[in-house]
Amino acid sequence: MKDKDRKLYLSSLTDKLVRGEMGRRDFLRLSGALGLGAGALGMGLGPRPYLGVSSAQAQEAVQPSADVIAWLKEVGKPFAGTTLKLATESTPPSNAINSQLKKYFEEATGIKVEIEVLPLEQVLQKLTLDVASSLGTYDLYYIDQSWAASFSQDVFDPREQISAKPDLAMPNYNIDDFLPALVDGIAMYEDRMVGVPYDIPIFIMIYRKDVYEELGLKAPTTFEELYNNSKAITDKKGPNLFGYAGQMKSGHYALECEWTSMLWGHGGSIFRTDGTFSGNDEQGIAALDYYTKLKATMPPGVDGWTWDGQGQAVAQGVAASMLSWGEFFPYFDDPTQTKVSGLCEAVIPPQPIALRTVKDTGYGEIPGVGHQGGSSLAVSKYSKSPDAAWLFMQWATCADTQALITVLGGGTGPTRASVYDDPRVKANARVGAGTTRHLPVVRETIAKYMGSEPDLPEWAQLSSDTIPVSLGKYFAGGYGSSKEAMDDIAAQVGEVLKG
Amino acid sequence: MHMSAGQRTLRTIAGWLVVGLFFFPIYFWTSVAFRDAKDIFSWPPKFFEFPPTVRNFEQVFGISLGFGFGNQDVVTPGGGNFYMAPRLWDSIVIASMSTVLAVVVATLAAYSLSRMDFRGRHHFVNWVLSTRMMPPVAVAVPMFFIFKQFNLLDTYTGIILVHGLMNLPLAVLLLKSFFDDIPAEIDESALLDGASRWTIFRRIVLPMAKGGIAATAVLCFIFSWTEFLFVLTLTQTSIKTVPVVSSTFVTSIGTAWGNMAALGAAAIVPAFIVIMLVQRHLVRGLTMGSLKQ
Repeated sequence: MKDKDRKLYLSSLTDKLVRGEMGRRDFLRLSGALGLGAGALGMGLGPRPYLGVSSAQAQEAVQPSADVIAWLKEVGKPFAGTTLKLATESTPPSNAINSQLKKYFEEATGIKVEIEVLPLEQVLQKLTLDVASSLGTYDLYYIDQSWAASFSQDVFDPREQISAKPDLAMPNYNIDDFLPALVDGIAMYEDRMVGVPYDIPIFIMIYRKDVYEELGLKAPTTFEELYNNSKAITDKKGPNLFGYAGQMKSGHYALECEWTSMLWGHGGSIFRTDGTFSGNDEQGIAALDYYTKLKATMPPGVDGWTWDGQGQAVAQGVAASMLSWGEFFPYFDDPTQTKVSGLCEAVIPPQPIALRTVKDTGYGEIPGVGHQGGSSLAVSKYSKSPDAAWLFMQWATCADTQALITVLGGGTGPTRASVYDDPRVKANARVGAGTTRHLPVVRETIAKYMGSEPDLPEWAQLSSDTIPVSLGKYFAGGYGSSKEAMDDIAAQVGEVLKG
Repeated sequence: MHMSAGQRTLRTIAGWLVVGLFFFPIYFWTSVAFRDAKDIFSWPPKFFEFPPTVRNFEQVFGISLGFGFGNQDVVTPGGGNFYMAPRLWDSIVIASMSTVLAVVVATLAAYSLSRMDFRGRHHFVNWVLSTRMMPPVAVAVPMFFIFKQFNLLDTYTGIILVHGLMNLPLAVLLLKSFFDDIPAEIDESALLDGASRWTIFRRIVLPMAKGGIAATAVLCFIFSWTEFLFVLTLTQTSIKTVPVVSSTFVTSIGTAWGNMAALGAAAIVPAFIVIMLVQRHLVRGLTMGSLKQ
């Protein structure tokens, strides 16, 4: 076959792959037969841009919408030469944008985008410094949901930006397309929108289907079933395989996340309507007792694990289930990274024993077993180029870009409803790296079972220090009983709130 | 001292144990760099028998090591993927230049403090030392504001200045003690022969203090090479050093231990080369003054 014909044939194959008319396996086989192999396409063997981003699709084949690019070219001209800066956690959306997608925005607008990727606590440090100095060293803020209250006055409300500058508003941006539960849980503080939902790690139930089937177990639908299953596995397979892995590192935010999930699932809440700590009430004690019971079925050393260790325990076949961030699921399906590729299944979290409503809690806390850890993206009020930043923000969070992020970003959960139905996203719903086969579960969990932490300025301290430090002390045997531990936490929280 | 065969064997075993104790963490960390993620957390742990891979190095340094794929696009220092080769260069530039800055200034200052008599000399030494007493984190935030004002944020110049100044007190005190060990009579003889202070310093004292300067330079280089807080606070997207970018391997869905180990293993090399280059002077520098005459 002549070189030209070969390229034409390859082009046709790529087109079919993008439109979902051909599987990746067939694509690789046929392109390989062309003598062009995976290496020539930058696929498969190519260097992965970051942990969790797979080469699930031919990267050259994933292109942004022509309409979006045309709009960027038109509206971005006056801002050519501007440089925008964003500090963000190393999450799938940020990494997909930074390493693969922002070039489209930069080429179309002439605006340079510099993204600083940092661990979450360092992002908080950078943003705090920027706000305190009002210097505008960053144009866009990546805001974890637990910081929404703290930064609510330092960013623009996107609704105001749309109405104030209609000439800069992206056609069909459709702010109502963001999943309402996420807008409420991540981006709203009092009556302000603190940016728009940008990413959504959320607790779903992930379990080893092969182990469950071997022992005649069914996916847990209640907390009691979760415990019974976990105990049965640990009893029969331990110490090589344990029933459940937790994220219980003493003093770490991860412990607080898992605890709240248990707390909400037992009908408890962090705060009462009067703003006092309610983790020490009857439901709160029951939740901590359950957590203690479940811990006995977990691998030794679990109290040193954040979600990282928890994920590794499942990935390496040490634990058979976890209630944790859905973002792990595509990683588990990657045969080059884990020993459990294709063996895990995702289901909705266990049903709560009882559930309080928002009206029964304080500070806008939303009880739900599906603990969310989402973040929003917002334009800083101190930015020297807020209009250019607003263009970038719209592009980064529009439906087309989100679909590309989901495909390139290793199956991360989109924050827009329409993206879940995008054919490019659905085409990746198969076993393998970067799968999206768990996304229906993620979507259902967001819609029906999502839990959100309270919004109050002191929450960053309470969630990352006060509560997990004392919980760690409890699990290390530092308290006489669960009641004593919770009463002590209640007293400490009270002190923090008093200032 | 006479030792029995048993004692000698025991001493050899103890020696090897100590060597193993120091070497094992380096070996294990380096071996992690050559593992796929699924082999890193194997249980029971595998220390030797794992299928080696160079994938982590390829990702971190954006180079092909024989599997037929090309270089990565240059990505901003802030991260976004694991291509970190330019960050290793940033570290080399910053550590080298700040070491030169600290050693040049400190050598002059230390010689003055050692040889010249001026009012408040002893207080001056205490004052130099006191600048190291403040916790760095207390200085970092004011530094941020000052650097922003002078456009030094996120620049080589800024970080080189900070690291140079940070190392200055230690370098001055170390070098002063080395100069103190060189007999002042040598200077006096040269003065009588008509040599100027500068000539004495450059032609006589400096060559004699080479070992001390080498030891000081190594310490300054290593402090800069491993410094985290100032680089984190005073840089954004243009430059970053290895300790700071190492933290970017911590992602929202776990830590890329293999990539982190690849960068860490590679980062040992420049520091090792620097130490090897000055090793000849180093031993003399570190033992200088240990015997009083």
